[in-house]
Amino acid sequence: MARLFSRRNVVAAGIVFFAALPFVANPYVLFIGNLALMYVLLAVGLNMLLGYAGQLAFAHAALFGVGAYTTGLLKLELGLHYGLALVAGVVLATVTGLAVAMPALRLRGLYLALATVAFAQATLWVFTHWNSVTYGGAGFRVPPLDFEPFTSRPDVGVYVLTCLIVLASVPLGWNLLRSRVGRAWVAIRESEVAAESLGIDVTRYKTIAYVVSAMYAGAAGGLFAGMLGIVTPESFDLFQVIVHFCMVIVGGLGSIWGGLLGAVGLVGLQEVLRAFRHLQEIAFGGLILFTVLVIPGGAVSLLKRYVPGWKEPLRRTEHDE
Amino acid sequence: MSGGETSGRGRPASKLRASGVSISFGGLKALDSVEIDVAPGEIRGIIGPNGAGKTTLLNVICGIDPPDHGAVWLDGQPITGLKTSRIAERGIGRTFQTTKLFKGMTVLENVMTGLHGKMRASPLAAAFGMRSVLREEAEAARRAREALEFVRMLEFADHEATSLSFGQQRLVEVARALVSEPQVLLLDEPAVGLSLTRVAEVDELLRRIRRERGVTILMIEHVIRLVMGVCDRITVLNSGRRIADGTAEEVMADREVAEAYLGADLDA
Repeated sequence: MARLFSRRNVVAAGIVFFAALPFVANPYVLFIGNLALMYVLLAVGLNMLLGYAGQLAFAHAALFGVGAYTTGLLKLELGLHYGLALVAGVVLATVTGLAVAMPALRLRGLYLALATVAFAQATLWVFTHWNSVTYGGAGFRVPPLDFEPFTSRPDVGVYVLTCLIVLASVPLGWNLLRSRVGRAWVAIRESEVAAESLGIDVTRYKTIAYVVSAMYAGAAGGLFAGMLGIVTPESFDLFQVIVHFCMVIVGGLGSIWGGLLGAVGLVGLQEVLRAFRHLQEIAFGGLILFTVLVIPGGAVSLLKRYVPGWKEPLRRTEHDE
Repeated sequence: MSGGETSGRGRPASKLRASGVSISFGGLKALDSVEIDVAPGEIRGIIGPNGAGKTTLLNVICGIDPPDHGAVWLDGQPITGLKTSRIAERGIGRTFQTTKLFKGMTVLENVMTGLHGKMRASPLAAAFGMRSVLREEAEAARRAREALEFVRMLEFADHEATSLSFGQQRLVEVARALVSEPQVLLLDEPAVGLSLTRVAEVDELLRRIRRERGVTILMIEHVIRLVMGVCDRITVLNSGRRIADGTAEEVMADREVAEAYLGADLDA
């Protein structure tokens, strides 16, 4: 019985599930699956900055927004090919992430949190009030996507594209984390002084963390614009920041699998509660509280306990047992 | 790899030298024109009462606190004002008064982190899992195991680092500082809080580090029997000033030392 729940089987089951979805699911379920995978990108990227490098930064929803707006607007205004618009979204989000990193490198803890919340709010203000470019509070519609030679259904096209990007970028993140880069990030999280004394250029590796996590956020944003077909400021407000943090914390801080689990789980929960809008916020708050109090290692620590051979590099384990 | 000082001839008389080092923190003079000159292969002790500026001196040497005045040389080359990470790459390793092992890493991963400056993998190459990166990782793991074996902690390689006992964590921290093969090792109270048998082990370890690895050691220590037993020379600090410098016998015989430090202990 234990063999059935080996790590390989659990991972394979997940892949089979998402691969089969376009063939068996109705458009609504496919959309939810797509949303979940898109959030996987976002959560894995955020976890690098928050969980591994230990930087309490709230700029992620804004970078996600920059990716979505850039991709959507390039498609709408210039009729750019969606793939190119998506790449542009990733690039601009990454550049913005670098711009955030510059002042953020000098800040720590609460000050970093406050400065990045301010940045997120300022970005939201730009999305809402720069009417001539962003179409203001009502947002804009992204022209329908076209994946013609491959499929006539745009929703299946975006879904497959999302799957491919997740399949490519999550293993890249995994490799990065088990290299000296991942170790440098954890070292910085635990003690900047000790990290420096071992030859780690703290400024450089913090910058890398901001840039890499911004790339993930930008890609997620571009896919979000494509699958939703509409871009509005409220998709990137402070409640979304809480949703992103909730994914990472509930799934497991400082764990790639934690980001995966948190994103899929919370998107599921959000849909179940869709009929009760007010309950969503209460449920998310309660879930964070429950996780912190009862399973501080996050959902991934349960996997670690019940799935034989579950191992992950640089995984926090102090709360798991 | 580190530095580039391959002059060979005219070997400098001092491995590590600090001269006229002064530093103040908010009006408090933590160090006042401190001199220290450590010969290659020497084990140097730094003693002094609490607040004497011992840890500050180590912080100045490894670049954590850049001095207001004065300079530090490694092998005759100035290192004052360099970033801590650059100084580490030049070959100065250190441990901390309160062990700073990284939580969430195994013992092996902690020690591998010590090799960061010796590794070359770029983030891009690492993300794509290039062959050269994997080879470098394997080599790093091998060296880390070797360093753990040196401090006799190899059997704990896969343990969560912060789950170890206090004394074990100290040893892992030494391995982490040693793994990059530094020329100089700065140790901040390696024997604090250890049992007497453990102190004897530290004594033996320090001698092995010098003998087998050729490392020059500068260490702060309160455990007098360790300092007196293992150190070639001792520097005594008091209130940010150097009040004595010499062999254990010379320092013990010094009147100012007796008054400032040892005397107080003996009276107690």
